Amino acid sequence: MPALWIALVDIALILVFGIVSPGHVFFNGGNFTNMAEDSAEVTLMAVGVAFLLGAGELDISIGANIILSSVVGGKVMVALSGSPSQVAQSVFPHLAMGVTVGILVALGTGLAFGLVNAFVVTVLRVNSFITTLGTLGIGTGLAFVLADGNNIQDIPTPLQSSFGVRTLAGTPVTFLVTFVLVLLMWGLLGLTRFGLHTVAIGSSRQSAERAGIAIRRHLVVLFAMVGVLAGIAGVYDIARFSTTNISGHQTDALAAIAGAVIGGTNLFGGRVSIPGAVFGSFLAEILNTGLVILGMSSFYQLIAVGVVLIVAVYIRGGVDVRTIRR
Amino acid sequence: MPNYQCAPMSDIAIQAVDISKDFGHIRALQSASVTVHKGEIVALVGDNGAGKSTLMKIMSGAELPDRGEIGVDGQPTRLLSVRDAHALGIETVYQDLALAPHLTVAQNVFLGHEVVLPKIGGKLGLLAKQEMARDAADALQALGIGIGDAKVRVSELSGGQRQAVAIARAMKWARSVLLMDEPTAALGVRQTAIVLQTMRTAAKRGLGVLVVSHDMPHMLNVANRIVVMRHGRVVANFAADETDIQTIAAAMLGSTTSGDL
Repeated sequence: MPALWIALVDIALILVFGIVSPGHVFFNGGNFTNMAEDSAEVTLMAVGVAFLLGAGELDISIGANIILSSVVGGKVMVALSGSPSQVAQSVFPHLAMGVTVGILVALGTGLAFGLVNAFVVTVLRVNSFITTLGTLGIGTGLAFVLADGNNIQDIPTPLQSSFGVRTLAGTPVTFLVTFVLVLLMWGLLGLTRFGLHTVAIGSSRQSAERAGIAIRRHLVVLFAMVGVLAGIAGVYDIARFSTTNISGHQTDALAAIAGAVIGGTNLFGGRVSIPGAVFGSFLAEILNTGLVILGMSSFYQLIAVGVVLIVAVYIRGGVDVRTIRR
Repeated sequence: MPNYQCAPMSDIAIQAVDISKDFGHIRALQSASVTVHKGEIVALVGDNGAGKSTLMKIMSGAELPDRGEIGVDGQPTRLLSVRDAHALGIETVYQDLALAPHLTVAQNVFLGHEVVLPKIGGKLGLLAKQEMARDAADALQALGIGIGDAKVRVSELSGGQRQAVAIARAMKWARSVLLMDEPTAALGVRQTAIVLQTMRTAAKRGLGVLVVSHDMPHMLNVANRIVVMRHGRVVANFAADETDIQTIAAAMLGSTTSGDL
């Protein structure tokens, strides 16, 4: 089981870094909290992308979706929480309303982005890689235009303190939210008709069609779902840093796909491992944090993840059952 | 004028009337008509390119005709999709089997007809996996094929076993018509015998069975009627016990005397 292997690799890396790091600081509770904080977003997207890959579709626009959702949501939060002069002085008379509506708008933006992807893929019948490559550029550009090239300022700080950096028993609340969502998606995939139809479409689109499955409608739901997840990630962003990160998120999509594939999800559809995507997404985080603590450039982490990705898929063998013949 | 029987209890399982279909410049079908009665096995034969598979795909809802109509149970129908076909009780075993390789036997047998858990489970679409696994194993057993475990992935089965899964699936859900496209191709003797027996079972159940096949000897054995196609048209309609291979071959190739072969 690939997921199990990656989990073991994760544990092995934690042990190695813990032993080797000066004063064993890698084992500190604060370190784990920090890694979980980072993982909240990456893991959420890796699982969402794994689900979509199950149907044989790609979405490389999620980084742009996260940015756009955070920009639009952030602007709404700032605009509704108080007058410009008030928020500039960190006074937020309509805090609850502003933040709530801002969050909803961020989710709505993510959803809308996902629906645009869905439309181009299912109605205009453009390949999903090309579609999302296009919307990646469009979304990023749109976010920059809306933000006027600058990160959003004056986002209500209570959002950060009560959610963004808050922890429960040492575990970041954002990570807990991700955890719940991951469990839900795991159940959806493995226990429901919707999950079964997803992998059927990825395994053999023609067979799914012949079985009477409404493929286009199903894909619309999947792209919309990934879009909403990106919206949530956008909320995480502004909650954590009290501002947006418009020049970040460049490699989010590739990191999500790598995490999913390392964990056993088939790139071409038909086989999904949600636990695998979770442990796969942890891998890069553990490597990155460990290397930084050891004082090594985090560029080595890029090399390491790349190597692991190739090795993981190679070990699983080239048996990718695309077509069956008699 | 379509020859529909208007009585509600018709003895016609499925009827294709004046079906025409073009693929670009290729005229695949030209006013092809075929009738399959309930309890009847009809073999649809013809040389490559005669249009047999295309006609069957249209009758299964997988393709739409340019002209013509389909009738089920003596009534004209709107057959616009595979889902429509399923709703009418038409099930098909395609030449390429149409199985999802990564899915298990049970998942394939129930694809599109999944059983969900009762009450709230049903609303969420929660699958009754154990029940479906048992059912699928039983369905295969009934065909005389033991696969052992219905939770095996279809990609791990042999060609003959996959064939069995595709046939078991169609047999399980068919209520009015069973369509089969080259079901005995690449099968061994024992497996072929099982498939032919399945056809007889389906016919005995009152289904109309239409089989596209190159396997003339077996078709003469199992079918009630042989319908011959050539160049997109139906050119002959023989009772199986009143004809022989040479006559059929002559009709397939267009010669009137067997000496021309």
